[in-house]
Amino acid sequence: MNIRLALRLLWRDWRAGELTLLLAALVIAVGTVTTITLFVDRLQQALLLESSSFLAADKVISTDQPLPSVIPEKARELGLQHAETIQFVSMVFTGERAQFTAVKAVDDNYPLRGTLITSLTPFTGGAVATGGPDRGTVWMDSRLFPALDIEPGTALEIGEAMLDADKVLIKEPDRGGGFSNAAPRVMMHLDDVEGTEVVQPGSRITYQYLFAGDSRVMAVFEEWVRPQLRQGERIYGVREGAEGIGNALERAERFLLLGSLLGVVLAGVAIALAAQRYANRHFDHVAILKTLGATPAAVDSIFIQIFVVLGVLSTILGALVGYTTQSGIAAILSPYIPVELPAAGPRPVILGLVTGFVCLLSYALPPLLRLRNSQPVRVIRRDLDAQPVSQTLSFVVAVVGTIGLMVWYSGDVRLTAMVFSGAVAAVAVLGIAAYFLLRSGRLIGMQAGSAWRLALAGMQKRGRENALHIMVFAIAIMLLLMLYLVRTALIDEWRAQLPEDAPNHFALNIAPDDVSSIEQMFTENNIRAQPLFSMVRGRIQMVNGESARERDRSLRGEGGPRRGPRSTSQRNLTWARDLPDDNVVIEGEWWSSNHVGDAEVSLESDFAWNNGLSVGDELIFNIEDRELPVTVSNIRRVAWDNMQPNFYIIFSPGSLAEFPSTYMTSFYLHGDQKLLLNDLLRAHPTMSVLEVDALIEQIQNIIEQVTLAIELVLILIMISGALVLLASIEASMDERFKQHGILRTLGASRRLVMGSLVIEFAALGLFAGLLATLGAEISVFMLETQVFELGYQPNITLWLLGPIVGTLLIGIVGTLATRKVVSTPPSTVLRELG
Amino acid sequence: MITLVNSRNEEQQLAEENLKGEMRPIVKVVNLSKSVGTSEGTLTILEGINLEINESDSVAIVGASGSGKTTLLSLMAGLDVPSTGQVFLANDEITAMTEEERARVRGRRVGFVFQSFQLLGSLTALENVMLPAELKGDADAAGRACELMERVGLGHRLQHYPRQLSGGEQQRVAIARAFASDAEILFADEPTGNLDTRTGERVIDLVFDLNREFGTTLILVTHDGRLADRCDQSISLDSGAIIEVRG
Repeated sequence: MNIRLALRLLWRDWRAGELTLLLAALVIAVGTVTTITLFVDRLQQALLLESSSFLAADKVISTDQPLPSVIPEKARELGLQHAETIQFVSMVFTGERAQFTAVKAVDDNYPLRGTLITSLTPFTGGAVATGGPDRGTVWMDSRLFPALDIEPGTALEIGEAMLDADKVLIKEPDRGGGFSNAAPRVMMHLDDVEGTEVVQPGSRITYQYLFAGDSRVMAVFEEWVRPQLRQGERIYGVREGAEGIGNALERAERFLLLGSLLGVVLAGVAIALAAQRYANRHFDHVAILKTLGATPAAVDSIFIQIFVVLGVLSTILGALVGYTTQSGIAAILSPYIPVELPAAGPRPVILGLVTGFVCLLSYALPPLLRLRNSQPVRVIRRDLDAQPVSQTLSFVVAVVGTIGLMVWYSGDVRLTAMVFSGAVAAVAVLGIAAYFLLRSGRLIGMQAGSAWRLALAGMQKRGRENALHIMVFAIAIMLLLMLYLVRTALIDEWRAQLPEDAPNHFALNIAPDDVSSIEQMFTENNIRAQPLFSMVRGRIQMVNGESARERDRSLRGEGGPRRGPRSTSQRNLTWARDLPDDNVVIEGEWWSSNHVGDAEVSLESDFAWNNGLSVGDELIFNIEDRELPVTVSNIRRVAWDNMQPNFYIIFSPGSLAEFPSTYMTSFYLHGDQKLLLNDLLRAHPTMSVLEVDALIEQIQNIIEQVTLAIELVLILIMISGALVLLASIEASMDERFKQHGILRTLGASRRLVMGSLVIEFAALGLFAGLLATLGAEISVFMLETQVFELGYQPNITLWLLGPIVGTLLIGIVGTLATRKVVSTPPSTVLRELG
Repeated sequence: MITLVNSRNEEQQLAEENLKGEMRPIVKVVNLSKSVGTSEGTLTILEGINLEINESDSVAIVGASGSGKTTLLSLMAGLDVPSTGQVFLANDEITAMTEEERARVRGRRVGFVFQSFQLLGSLTALENVMLPAELKGDADAAGRACELMERVGLGHRLQHYPRQLSGGEQQRVAIARAFASDAEILFADEPTGNLDTRTGERVIDLVFDLNREFGTTLILVTHDGRLADRCDQSISLDSGAIIEVRG
């Protein structure tokens, strides 16, 4: 069959407006998917780079002894970049003062990812530095300058070496958060380490070997190096290195993914409806073509060619729309995104193109294939319907297509199974419920006035179609409500986790004598600080009468699953009357606020599991060389990413009273108050301040930007939803035209017909809204608890919102879309429909 | 001329006679029956129909509503398949063919005019007339269609859509389309059924004129006695059986 004929027919259909809806549905399906996947892809790449900068490398080997030279040589051989650092703790001296510092010696290649930022004055300014400090110089944290009472440029002693503190180290990419890095940083050149004579056999030193390069080469290197690593040596990458922000972002990605899945399902429904309408309107065309000599094979050929052209056009157009939209989104968001978004890879575009064709195959092909069965005798007897292509077949095609797409996008079978089974259950339940609602609607409606009777009798007459309508409307509204609810829950959770004025500095090692003067300084300068936690250093010595060290050795053994902080290491211990915010007791019970008596202890859940500790265990702590027996009374889950002081071990009130303690707190400091730190640290030299403001700002920026992205996705999905509504209404248009044309010919006023349309759509909307609310509530419960791991809260306003939104939305869209039923003269309607 | 044949022997005899004479049957119907299953049992629409129609004749099939005349037309045209019996168009037995083959025969030999015009609403008048030639892959579909539109008096309405044309005009477009395929046989199902008397007469004049001009065999279904009278022959149907043949 001549392609030119197919193209001519396609063009004529387009000109007559037969294809607008189908093409729009396809373009939106492809556009939504391409936009979302392109954006997520760029975001993921950006975040990968961003998290790489948290390590200053793509992969790091961390060890307490130098690696054999064969390993760095192998990396060089493979073409990977390579840098080395050595970290140790040491006292730093100036004329009169001394400070305990965390020294990091770096070579000329450091850092491989991210940048070092230095300044000439403490706490302010900063410019990107190329490479680390030169030989003979050191860079130091801002807080060390007031603590040592020196200005940049002053010489200081580290071990046997005299080095020049010429710059302030404002930001170091792989500094990380947490209290293990609480000591202030001194950064020096690797070549100067020998001169300090600090590194001696037996010294506690951490060697880090940094590697960066092409991910495939890196995978080869990693595979080669793993078996070479000795006990205590580990290689880790960005995934393990940036867990803090990872959580929020992973949820955001899941949301975007869920959005694109729902977008595709919605667009798929729109495509199916539009294709169904196209097919219905073409049954007669095909019958006529057949009387004119078109064979079934020719009909197939014509419509398959139309189908292919339509697919190519809509996917290219959709991909263009998607590309433009995501470029727009990226341009709008770029000021908020801390890193530059890398160019998108080809995968999202391919994904969009394949989506277009799979949607066409799954949703549009089955109705189009029915066309070949249109019998030519239909031109004489229109009541003959085309024999459908096996409904089972079209159903199977749609299901397989949808599941295939879902799994391909998400690479997450569990999420796919959940969304899909939820959707199937919703379709079944909503379909049955819609049917029964319609039946009961008629019984009530028969008592009412004539517009009501007309509307409800109409609904009853097209019972199956209307049940389908309600189901489609309900699914569209349900998906929108669901997405809206999950979005709100996610954003609320993030905002609650890191509010605008979240503490962004930690003050540690506060001597008891300094407490009152520090509190006074905070009050004078209007600084909001958290309560002071007392801190005592100590370690677990015995567990249930057994030596903790022996136990540790047997528990951790060779390559066991237990890892993380050891029970035998020195830890910061505190006590608390009340359970800290964001902590949840998952085993045992928190003590009463007026607790007196034997010392009890609460353990963080991962710490307890990794060290084989549980409620009821008898522990003996070693604090200041004295023994303190306690019982484990509960296990807590801690939200580590909340930027609040968090502890593995919390004692009951009074347990630590007899031990000398220091204090810690956290406080919020606005950017222009940073210089206060100078005064604070000069006045209290023993105190350490940990600045996490840059980190928090970065996280807040990312969250803001992801929130915006989520809202944009929601808008895209809403467009898909609106399209479904329109497609669904359009699909019933001919039938309505005919019925109301006849009614108006018989003398029904425009007002009566219009009134019945308003009532019909409003009633459909009300039913759909009610069902959608029920569906959304159940689905959101499942999603929030199973996928996003958020706390679920039933939403009462939803029960008001759903039906109202349904009634208004469907009522307005339906009436507007069908108003030409009333405005077109009945004679025209009847003539057109024959 | 129509010949009613009642048995196999007579059929053979007739065929032999025709071979000897000038007349050549272009449509032959043998023992044709059509029944459909309904909720109340089997409904017989046509039973035991035998007839032959010669080339270039004009034949009216008349009868009351429900007599089976439209069904007979659709079976003869290969739009539908019978329950039993055979239909030959020229020498092709269309009842033994697949839908694919029947469609080819329709495209090559048959033209249609329907009561409800059956124009494609999304196509202009000209495009509707071009369609049969386009389906055959004819490169000059437009030229031929323009000529026919002129011939039916609608040369000035080529780009109008069916909805912009009156009933009579729509039927004239349908007639132009029917002749666009160079059909040997024109089937017309109540071609004036949707038209007023005057318009109907004009349309029928056109059909007969073109029929003569192109030497086409015309088979039309009608309940209009005057229209039947204009045909060379007429066949009356009642309850699915032929009750009278005139002419």
